[in-house]
Amino acid sequence: MKTVTLIALSLSIAIVLAFTAAWSQDDMTVVDNAAFNNPQRTPSVFVHDEHNETAGIDDCAECHHVYEGGKRVEDESSEGQSCSECHDLQGSGNQPSLIKAFHANCKGCHQEQGKGPIMCGECHIK
Amino acid sequence: MAEPSKKEENKVVDEGIDVGISRLTEEKIQSVINSVIDSETGARLKAYVETCIHCGLCSEACHYYLSHDNDPHYSPVGKVKQTIWEMVRKKGRVSPEFIRRAAIIAHTECNLCKRCAQYCPFGIDIAYLISVVRRIIHKLGVTPLYLQDTAHSHSVTMNQMWVKGDEWPDTLQWQEEEAQAEIPNLRIPLEKEGADVMYSVIAPEPKFQAQLIYQAAVIMHVAGVNWTMPASVGWDNSDMAMFSGDNELMGRLKRTHFETAARLKVKKIVMGECGHAFRSVYDMGNRWLGWSMPPFTIVHAIEFYHDLIKEGRIKIAKKYKPPITLHDPCNVVRGGGLHEKARYVAHAICEKVIEMHPNREHNYCCCAGGGVINTGPPFKMTRIKGNRVKAEQLFGAKTKGAEVLVAPCHNCHSGLHDIVHHYEIGLDIKFFGDIIYEVMEKPE
Amino acid sequence: MHSFYNFVSGPLAWVAFILFFGGSIYRIVSMLKLVAEKERFIFSYMSWRYSLRSIIHWIIPFATVNWRRQPVLTVVTFAFHLCLLATPIFLLSHVVLWDEAFSISWWTLPDAVADIMTIIVILGAVYFLVRRVTQPEVKFVTSVSDFVILAIVAAPFITGFLAYHQWLSYPLVMCLHVLAGDIMLAAIPFTRLSHMLFSPFTRAYMGSEFGKVRHARDW
Repeated sequence: MKTVTLIALSLSIAIVLAFTAAWSQDDMTVVDNAAFNNPQRTPSVFVHDEHNETAGIDDCAECHHVYEGGKRVEDESSEGQSCSECHDLQGSGNQPSLIKAFHANCKGCHQEQGKGPIMCGECHIK
Repeated sequence: MAEPSKKEENKVVDEGIDVGISRLTEEKIQSVINSVIDSETGARLKAYVETCIHCGLCSEACHYYLSHDNDPHYSPVGKVKQTIWEMVRKKGRVSPEFIRRAAIIAHTECNLCKRCAQYCPFGIDIAYLISVVRRIIHKLGVTPLYLQDTAHSHSVTMNQMWVKGDEWPDTLQWQEEEAQAEIPNLRIPLEKEGADVMYSVIAPEPKFQAQLIYQAAVIMHVAGVNWTMPASVGWDNSDMAMFSGDNELMGRLKRTHFETAARLKVKKIVMGECGHAFRSVYDMGNRWLGWSMPPFTIVHAIEFYHDLIKEGRIKIAKKYKPPITLHDPCNVVRGGGLHEKARYVAHAICEKVIEMHPNREHNYCCCAGGGVINTGPPFKMTRIKGNRVKAEQLFGAKTKGAEVLVAPCHNCHSGLHDIVHHYEIGLDIKFFGDIIYEVMEKPE
Repeated sequence: MHSFYNFVSGPLAWVAFILFFGGSIYRIVSMLKLVAEKERFIFSYMSWRYSLRSIIHWIIPFATVNWRRQPVLTVVTFAFHLCLLATPIFLLSHVVLWDEAFSISWWTLPDAVADIMTIIVILGAVYFLVRRVTQPEVKFVTSVSDFVILAIVAAPFITGFLAYHQWLSYPLVMCLHVLAGDIMLAAIPFTRLSHMLFSPFTRAYMGSEFGKVRHARDW
């Protein structure tokens, strides 16, 4: 009986820890894909702090951008929001769909910089 | 072990082929092949050669392939590989020995029956490809002797059997007199301008099957058909030039035939129970002359009998008793769609019709058509051994009770005769005309 | 590896698509021109009704005598060709790339289904290979080019399968996959893979001749 309780307890702690890890940028290791129903690929690998350190990104708005009327708003950032708040699954008009937004944000920059992964399986690791 | 026996078969001596080959040089071969391919072929050859995916699905269509225990040398695509593919691939640089083999394949191991066209998923016309080979063989002067002889006869006499000018009307007069013993007022009207029907036959009829003309005359007379036959050239609708690759001669023959019908101002041409002649008049010769469809309504005997019986113009006194089985000739069934009409006639005149299998468009070839029987004695065994599967098919019908084999085509008739005899199947072979003549109501 | 990837999925892919579409149009137009020049009569025998009648019979499994005679081959060849065409067109990863590059997208297959379809294509290719080397009537008419075109077709699917599962060296496999796809596209108009372009025409012509002139079935 003791063992069962012990296992149950450690499992609950692990789950709580896992969730906090996922929600805390400090320990973020993959991109949040909760917005996708039935995602076809594993969430993209993304170690937030390590990435930004390596890439030398200080400005949050570099990725957490804000657009208004199709134009990027300087000096504003959106790190408090989740990407899917603006980018829905379908996309509309100039607003890219969530998949396309992720790909443009990550892969687009990697292509521009000539650095970082660009092939599907380099981020969506099995 | 199959190899030696195959080589043995190849040693058949045919003077047309062997003498022709002895006169060839590689330069001549190359120039002839390239001139035929460049100036006489086009998109069809190109598309057929480049589209074929080498799947072999045509194989089981071929009676030669089936009869040789699925030897791939005899599959349709196998024959194409051994002939035109190589000629195209090597741009005509092939040896006289290659041409010899190609002549034997194209002339004696393919009946141009087009069954394979129904089995190729892409609808590649393999018979056309073999016809191109025959055309090349013709231009190289390597056509098998007996076949070339019939072509010579066509060229000289405008008929297939060296029937001389006076022999034709003599034969008709003879048959008319014979028939008058049975029906005194029967006539075989010659040169009757404005008749409804010009009846044309192939030269073997006056040459050695004159009773067929007799029977046709009786049927015409009883049915009250307003008919005629030409007294001079143009009466023969046969065409071995079509099979020997002598297209120019084919054109001369068909022009003569159509012009004769035009001269007689007839409404349509009715032809006897011949398959290849139908192909020539209805499909091939007219095209060579620039007619997409024949300039006259062409009525094959099967259709003619069908109409006469259906319209009640001939009545059946007593149906034919022995159970029959019906052979569907390629040129009028796969080439003319007359299979259901043939069955109508068969059921109208016979008490019992037993189907052989496969049948209709999918019937096995007789192995005599396409000019193969006309290559004569040197290749008789080629076509008999090459059609064991036909013997098996006929035997199947025989075991179901068939006693008589109806083959409404001259080539089929002769070829099947050899098959039935060699494999000892024991079936009588008849034309529709034979049976109709026997069972129809005739004036007392 | 990235520069190679960018090359095969960028400029080389452009070349491949131009060769595929341009080459296909060129082959078909020049074939039709050849018909017009040398066998114009073919046009006068063509019939929509009988062309379609023939094509429809042959693109339905077991609708022809020969398909019924070859049940295994029929199942394999239809599954193979269907998956061969549908998988690359409706694959999610491909559509995502189209969307990124040209902002066009369409319905996609679930990856698990596409995975099975890929396996079907690979197994189909294996079946054709085995058939080619074991069936005498096929072996007899087989040339080196038959193996080459089979390899050209199988390669994008084998590499695609490996890339999807990220087996072996992923970046290399991925680059080879794109390269193999480029090669296949470019090869279609210029090899006997052109049966994809010409078989509807040859089938239609035979169907027309059989329907209009011969009054017989060609299936």
